[in-house]
Amino acid sequence: MKILELKNLTKDFGGLRAVDNLNLSIDDGQILGLIGPNGAGKSTAFNCIAGVYPPSEGDIYFNGEKINNEKPWNLCKKGLARTFQIVKPFSSKSVLYNVMVGSFANKDKRADAEKKSLEILKYLHLEDKKDIRAGNLTIADRKRLEIARALATEPRLLLLDEVMAGLRPTEVDEMVEIIKNLRESGITVFVIEHIMRAIMALSDWIVVIHFGQKIAEGIPETVAADENVIKAYLGEEYGVS
Amino acid sequence: MGEQMTRQNLQISSLLLVGIITFGLPLVLRSPTYLHILILLYLYAYLTSSWNLVGGFAGVLPLGHAAFVGIGAYSSTILYLQYGISPWLGMIVGGILAAIVGIIIGLPTFKMRGAYFALATIAFGEGIRVMVENIDYLGPFNLNGPRGLQIPPRNVGLTNLMFTTKEPYYYIILIMLVAVLALTYFISRSKLGYYLNAGGEEPEAAMSLGVNVARCKLIAMAMSSFLTALAGTFYAQFTLFIHPKSIISLDLSFEIAFIALIGGRGSIAGPVLGALLLRPVSDFSRIYFGATLPGLHLIIFGTVLVLVMIYQPRGLQEPLTRVYHKLLYRLIPEPAGTE
Amino acid sequence: MNYIIEGLINGILMGSIYGLTALGLTIIFGVLKVINFAHGSLLMVGMYVAYWAVSLSGLHPYLTLVVVVPVMYLFGYYLQDIVIKPIFKAEREVREPITVIIVTTGVWYILDNLTLLVFGPQYRSIQDNPLRGKMLEFGEMLISVPKLWGFFAAIITAGSVYWFLQKTRTGRAIRATSLDRDAASLMGIKQYRVYNIAFGIGTATAGIAGVTLVPFYNVFPTVGVLFDIKGFIIVVLGGLGSIGGAILGGIIIGLIESVGPQFMAATWTEAIVYGLFLLVLFVKPSGLFGVRYDW
Repeated sequence: MKILELKNLTKDFGGLRAVDNLNLSIDDGQILGLIGPNGAGKSTAFNCIAGVYPPSEGDIYFNGEKINNEKPWNLCKKGLARTFQIVKPFSSKSVLYNVMVGSFANKDKRADAEKKSLEILKYLHLEDKKDIRAGNLTIADRKRLEIARALATEPRLLLLDEVMAGLRPTEVDEMVEIIKNLRESGITVFVIEHIMRAIMALSDWIVVIHFGQKIAEGIPETVAADENVIKAYLGEEYGVS
Repeated sequence: MGEQMTRQNLQISSLLLVGIITFGLPLVLRSPTYLHILILLYLYAYLTSSWNLVGGFAGVLPLGHAAFVGIGAYSSTILYLQYGISPWLGMIVGGILAAIVGIIIGLPTFKMRGAYFALATIAFGEGIRVMVENIDYLGPFNLNGPRGLQIPPRNVGLTNLMFTTKEPYYYIILIMLVAVLALTYFISRSKLGYYLNAGGEEPEAAMSLGVNVARCKLIAMAMSSFLTALAGTFYAQFTLFIHPKSIISLDLSFEIAFIALIGGRGSIAGPVLGALLLRPVSDFSRIYFGATLPGLHLIIFGTVLVLVMIYQPRGLQEPLTRVYHKLLYRLIPEPAGTE
Repeated sequence: MNYIIEGLINGILMGSIYGLTALGLTIIFGVLKVINFAHGSLLMVGMYVAYWAVSLSGLHPYLTLVVVVPVMYLFGYYLQDIVIKPIFKAEREVREPITVIIVTTGVWYILDNLTLLVFGPQYRSIQDNPLRGKMLEFGEMLISVPKLWGFFAAIITAGSVYWFLQKTRTGRAIRATSLDRDAASLMGIKQYRVYNIAFGIGTATAGIAGVTLVPFYNVFPTVGVLFDIKGFIIVVLGGLGSIGGAILGGIIIGLIESVGPQFMAATWTEAIVYGLFLLVLFVKPSGLFGVRYDW
C-alpha cells in the first residue's frame, strides 16, 4: 500500500524550477530518505507535500487521496505531520505546552492532551525537561521537541526535514535510534538528511535529486555505488568503498 | 503534596481577600470622586482584558478598539432613545454588531503580516469616527453627527441601567471585569487558548500541528469585539453622553493597547496590573499637572512603554509573578528531601 | 472646466507632498520590515527644526534644508541606534517584531507630548514668510508657489533616494539587507548599521517634507498625527516598501481631497480615503501598483 505518491511534481518560483517532474512513492511502514546537494529542491518538495506551497504541476496523493491544495492544518488531521529544517518552537512556552499544541489535534480536553503529551515526552526522553521554556533548550533537544510535537498529532506519515543537522555524533546516533523506533511503532517516515552516515543506516529506500530532478533511487548500497550520484554529489565525501 | 495543597490554599485565600476588599470598598469609601476613578480603572481593566483576547493571545496588534466601544455605545443609546429598548438588550445588540464587524475586519487581514492588521484596525477606527461625525441620520437611526448623543436621566433604575449614585455602576463594572477575567482564564487553559498562543508565536509551526490559525484569530477577534462593545454601553450609561471624538478616539484605542502591553499581553493578570499602575498616573497627572504640564501622563506612558518593551518585552507581570512565586515559596517552603 | 483642472493640479501638487511625508515610512519599512508609527512625529520634529531655523536666522525657508537634513539624519540614526536596536537584538529570532512597532508608538507619544510641554499647544507659522500666499496665475487658474516647490522637492528627493540605493555601495548594502538580512550579514554587511542608516535617511526625508510644509502649513505639536495616518494609507496604497508607490499613493490621496469636495461635503472625502484604504488592504494588499519592492 502506497501511503504517499508524487506524480510529476513540479514547482516553479518565478523563472526558477525548484522541483522538476519528481516521481516517488513510499510504502506504508517504510523509511524513505531523500538526499541531494544544497539547493536540490528537497525542502521545496517537502513544503509542497506539507501544503505550504501549491504545486505548479503534477499531483500529490496521500493514502490514495489527492492533496494538492490541502491546507497544512487539514493535512495534519489526515495524519501527515512534519518538522521544520529551521526549528520553530513556541519559544516562550514550556516544552509540555509545545507538545500539547500537537496533542490537541486529536484531543479536545486539556487533561487528555496533557496525558498524551507526557507519554510522548517520556518516549523521547524529554520528560524531565517538560517545564523548561522551549527557547532555552539545546539544539539537540529542540530537534527532539520538533519530533515530539509532530508525534503528538498521531501521524501516519512523518516528514523529517534535517532533524540531525547541527547534532554531535552521539546525538546523531540517538536520533537514528528514535527514528527506527518510530517505524517499529507503525509510522511511515520520510527523511531529508545531509548526514550520509545516518541516512544510509536508516533508510529502506533512497531517492537522490539534483537540480530538482530525480537522478537515482534504490536501496542505500545501490545509491551509494551509483555513478550519477557520485558525480553529482557524493564524489569526494563518500567513496564507493 | 501536602505543601502543594497549602500553597494552593494560600493562593485561593489571597484571591478571596482581594475579592472581599474590592466588593466591600464602596461600603467604606463614600467619596463619589474616588468611586468614579475606581469605576474608570475597572472599565479600563475590562477593556484591556477584552483587547488581550486578540492582542495578547492571538499575537496581533489591534489599534482600533475604540471603534467597538463606539459601536456598543451608539447601538444601545440609539435603541434606548428612539425605541425605549432597555440598554441591557441594546448592550447585547451592540456586542453582536461589533462581533460581526470584528470578523469582517479580521477576515482579510489575519492572513497578512501583522503590520497590515495594525494599520487596518487604525484606519477602520478612524473611518468609523469620521463616518459618525458626518452622519446625522443613518437610515432611521439618529446618530446626531459631531454633536453626539445625550441620554436624559429619566426612569432611573436597574432596568434602564441608569443610576443616580456611583455604587451600582461600581458593582456592575466590577462584575463585568471578574467575568471577563474568568473567561480569559478558561480560554487560556483550553484548546483555543493553546491554539491562539501557538498561532501567535509561530504560525507556520502551528499550522503544521493542525491549527487553523486564521480561524482561531477570528474567533478571538469576535469575542474581543463583542466584549469591548459591552463596555461601550456601560460607558454610555455611566456618563449619559456619548461624543464621537472622545469615544471613538485614536487615543482611547492606543491607551487600551498601551495598558495591556505594559502590564503584559497574553497573561491574565497583565491587563489588570497595567490599568492598576497606569490609570492613577493619568488621573493624577491630569488633576495636578493638567494645566501646567499638559500631556505629562502621555510622556510617562510613552517612556514606560519604551522601557518595558526594551527590558521586559512580556510586560511587567513577568517579574512581578516571579517575585510573587518566590514569596509564596518562602512562606511555604518545600519540605526537605525534594529538590 | 478650469476649476476642475485647477483642482487636479493642486491635488497632484499637494499629493506629491503627502508622498514626500510618507517616503521615509516606506524606506524604513522596506529595510527594517517595521511600520514606524513615530514617522508623523519625526515630520513634526522636522517642521519645528525648520520653523526655528527660519525664525532664529531669518533665512529663506528652503535654505534651512542645510540644517534640517543633517540634524534629522542624525536624529533618526541615533533614535534607531539607541531606542529600537536593543529590541531587534532581543527579538532576533522573532520573524515579525511587533514589539518594535509598539516601541515606535511609544516614541510617537513621547515626541508629541514633549513638544507640547516645551513649545505649548499654539499654532505657529513663520513670520516674514517670502512665500506666503504666493500664487502663479495661468489665465483663470491659480497655482500655489510653495506647493509647486514641494512637488519638485518630492520628485527630486524620491529620485535621489532611488539613485542612492541603486548606485552607491551603501545603497546596495541597504538593498541587500532589505532582501535578506541574514544572508546580507553573512556577506559582512553590518545589519544594525544599515538599519541606522536607513532610519536616518527616512527621518531626513521627513525633515525635507517638514521644510516644504513650513511655508504654508501651521506648526503645532500634533501636526504629525494628521500626516501619520495619511502616511500609513499612502504607503499601503502604493505598496509598502515602494518608493515610487509612495509618491503615487500620495498623489491619489491629494486628488481625492482636492477634487472630492466639488462633489460632496469636504469631510466625506476623509471617509472615502479610509474606505479606499480598507478596500486596497482587503483586495490587493501589495498595493495598487502591484510592486512588492521596486529596489
